[in-house]
Amino acid sequence: MDSPRNHPCRQLFELKDTATATATAATATNHNRNNHTAPQKPKLSSLSAADLRSEFAHHDPAVARINNGSFGSCPATIIAAQHRWHLRFIQQPDDFYFNVLQSSILRSRTLIKDLINADHVDEVSIVDNATTAAAIVFQQTAWAFAEGRFNKGDATVMLHYAYGAVKKSVQAYISRAGGRVIEVQLPFPVRSNDEIICEFRKALEQGKSDGHKVRLAVIDHITSMPSVVIPVKELVKICREEGVDRVFVDAAHAIGCTEVDMKEIGADVYTSNLHKWFFCPPSVAFLYCRKSDETLDLHHPVVSHEYGNGLAIESGWIGTRDYSAQLVVPEVLEFVNRFEGGIEGIRKRNHEKVVEMGEMLMKAWGTNLGSPPKMCSSMVMVGLPVCLGISSDSDALKLRTHLRDCFGIEVPIYYRAPKDGEIDPITGYARISHQVYNVVDDYYKFRDAVNKLVNDGFTCAFLSD
Amino acid sequence: MDEDPRANGESNDHSNPSKKPKISSSLSLITQLQIQQEFAHHQDGVARINNGSFGSCPASILAAQRRWQLQFLRQPDSFFFNYLQKSILHSRTIIKNLINAHHVEEVSLVDNATTAAAIVLQHIGWGFAEGQFHKGDAVVMLHCAFQAVKKSIQAYVTRAGGSVIQVELPFPVRSKDQIIAEFQRALVIGKANGRKVRLAIIDHITSMPSLIIPVRELVCICREEGVDQVFVDAAHAVGSVHVDVQEIGADFYVSNLHKWFFCPPSVAFLYCRKSPLSLNLHHPVVSHEYGNGLAVESSWIGTRDYSSQLVVPEVLDFVNRFEGGIDGISKRNHDAVVDMGEMLAKAWGTVLGSPPDMCPSMAMVGLPASLGISSDDDALKIRTHLRDHFQVEVPIHHQAPKDSKVGARNGNNCITAYARISHQVYNKVDDYIKFREAINQLVHDGFTCKVLSQK
Repeated sequence: MDSPRNHPCRQLFELKDTATATATAATATNHNRNNHTAPQKPKLSSLSAADLRSEFAHHDPAVARINNGSFGSCPATIIAAQHRWHLRFIQQPDDFYFNVLQSSILRSRTLIKDLINADHVDEVSIVDNATTAAAIVFQQTAWAFAEGRFNKGDATVMLHYAYGAVKKSVQAYISRAGGRVIEVQLPFPVRSNDEIICEFRKALEQGKSDGHKVRLAVIDHITSMPSVVIPVKELVKICREEGVDRVFVDAAHAIGCTEVDMKEIGADVYTSNLHKWFFCPPSVAFLYCRKSDETLDLHHPVVSHEYGNGLAIESGWIGTRDYSAQLVVPEVLEFVNRFEGGIEGIRKRNHEKVVEMGEMLMKAWGTNLGSPPKMCSSMVMVGLPVCLGISSDSDALKLRTHLRDCFGIEVPIYYRAPKDGEIDPITGYARISHQVYNVVDDYYKFRDAVNKLVNDGFTCAFLSD
Repeated sequence: MDEDPRANGESNDHSNPSKKPKISSSLSLITQLQIQQEFAHHQDGVARINNGSFGSCPASILAAQRRWQLQFLRQPDSFFFNYLQKSILHSRTIIKNLINAHHVEEVSLVDNATTAAAIVLQHIGWGFAEGQFHKGDAVVMLHCAFQAVKKSIQAYVTRAGGSVIQVELPFPVRSKDQIIAEFQRALVIGKANGRKVRLAIIDHITSMPSLIIPVRELVCICREEGVDQVFVDAAHAVGSVHVDVQEIGADFYVSNLHKWFFCPPSVAFLYCRKSPLSLNLHHPVVSHEYGNGLAVESSWIGTRDYSSQLVVPEVLDFVNRFEGGIDGISKRNHDAVVDMGEMLAKAWGTVLGSPPDMCPSMAMVGLPASLGISSDDDALKIRTHLRDHFQVEVPIHHQAPKDSKVGARNGNNCITAYARISHQVYNKVDDYIKFREAINQLVHDGFTCKVLSQK
């Protein structure tokens, strides 16, 4: 009988099953620190330099793309896989919805659970991005205020360098519902973890003043701008000691960029994008919620049929949309395992390279790095020459545009306001990234561009609005 | 539009992308063969008579979407800073014109009607939480509102202390007057005890069972009865009925564009009539643009794939290759689905669930009583059976008869289930004949849903 089960699409699906089995086995290998377990199926060959170039051949060749941190990157193999999933839906959406979608999302969630060392797959939900994850967490907090479980004035502690969108979300949900927000003032440039820990303790004290409780701590794993690796494990411990109700780690950059182990870190809620440093297409993120009574009350803000069945299930259907970016996790695992050491190997090499390039640039320009190498991830903050005259956020953005338009360099610039008493401080830092597609020439191009600007006596005052 | 930023994807210079060749305005009409090619990716052998659930997207639009996706992947920063916002604005402007909105700020793009419902209902939820509304103030909805919307009401309104008034609509139905009368009655009863009605949610085209609701009249009744705000859930509307937001007069109006307007999954617009109240609507995924108005907030909700929102111009080009554009398409779909519905009803000895003028591009066709569909579960099982064994894709609605004496009849028995057949440009008469034959065979074989329950 010519049933859909014999349809070519079905066979394509079965090919994926093979790929997944390989990926699963390879993950087990990856995660086993002794690395002695042989994979059950033969691994795909490792990527040659030519393969690597062709995987990223769709990147604009005229651009020195040293900003993987903002929007991530996706290899051609994964884009093709995503297209297949997308087409699968378009070909027979009802069949896809009833027979394929949920099991495929579950497969992705299971792989992520293993990757991040979570206990139960129920703890892993897939959402669009960290911004969505933040809305989920903060909406829960807002309800707690609205329903009287939290008292007006109870505090939420977050880092001053928290991502702008997250700050707005805190405003939209928590401040609006009556919560008080305390920002941890972090120094930048920063020299050691102790500086961060010290400021964090101060902020907690402030939160607990006047008999209030600290209901939520929002801690970045890797801050965005300026980018620094935060000692989250230590900060989570301090939160527990100081009686903070819940800890939410915003690790938008983390997976593929730093070590991510849920049990080690010990947070209640943890989110990371998979399209930044884990080669997924835009966009997909996971939201880990440690099993507890409180997690039962987390809801996706786009409410659909699955409301009340747990966040992971709710997030698996939020109305008709394109879920394909969530379905390619098995293919991505296969991809990263073609690199020496898998995702861990990629991460280590990115870190070493970006530090090396950062130091090369800082030497060339006579500036400094914004933090010591051990507080850098696959991104580094490199001071820009003072003579460029970056004196506002607006200058930083204009300079970034100028570098893009006139030099073909893509790199975000951070404006660091001078503190009282500082003489001729560095006010601009470039956040350089390194991902597998980057080459040394990208950074030389940047070095030379800035040198030219300096030689030409350029300052930001020249850039019009 | 003097400058066309829609690149082929191979832009060498990101500040001056190569232009797609301009289509001559005297393009000849699309041919049958071209239509088949546009939908050649649909699964072979399946009688796909369920456009209503997930919509459909022609190959040329999918190709356009890929170009947009590739443009982002090629240089995402440049795309974000230089192209995204103005391309979204372009799409919003086209929609504004399509639906006769006055200001483009009134038009926001979101993923789907489910998201739009969350936006409106979260706003109502805050009204309760912040004390503008009193516990017990009511939200009115149709009994057959889409289940996701009902859950959203539970999540945001009931939880915040609001009460819910459900309007039971008759089905099968004979005329829109029945609906108007029922709505009026339910609203008056609902307002008893001085309850204030803060929001009415009215479907323009209900999902299951599917009918065109006389929204204009119902919005008038709402105004007369002092309902604060009216939200029309028109998930199916654009591309199947004429949409004029001035005529309809609602405060909020949402329609998907991926169901009947050929966009890829997924994209919808939420129209919010300009008023002091509309300033307080927010996208639940809060990002940098918070506070800049819903339309601007919705245009950036974090890194994601916005490409389905960007192909609206290409879709307009596509529908204009058909005689009469989108209006011509929807009229022909309506005529064809009514034709096919009547053919099926005749063949099975059943009836349509509503008169033709209440059918959009979908029709509810009674199924033979002998199939023994006696629950929602049965309806789903028989749908699966039709897919797996007959390659027919069609949703089935179970309708418990209120009173067996007045229910629609199939011979001596009550009709307890209706198939919601759709017609879109890719459908053929054979699709419906295949369905007719499948049901005839089931009836002939003495099949009933009890058989399925034994699996």
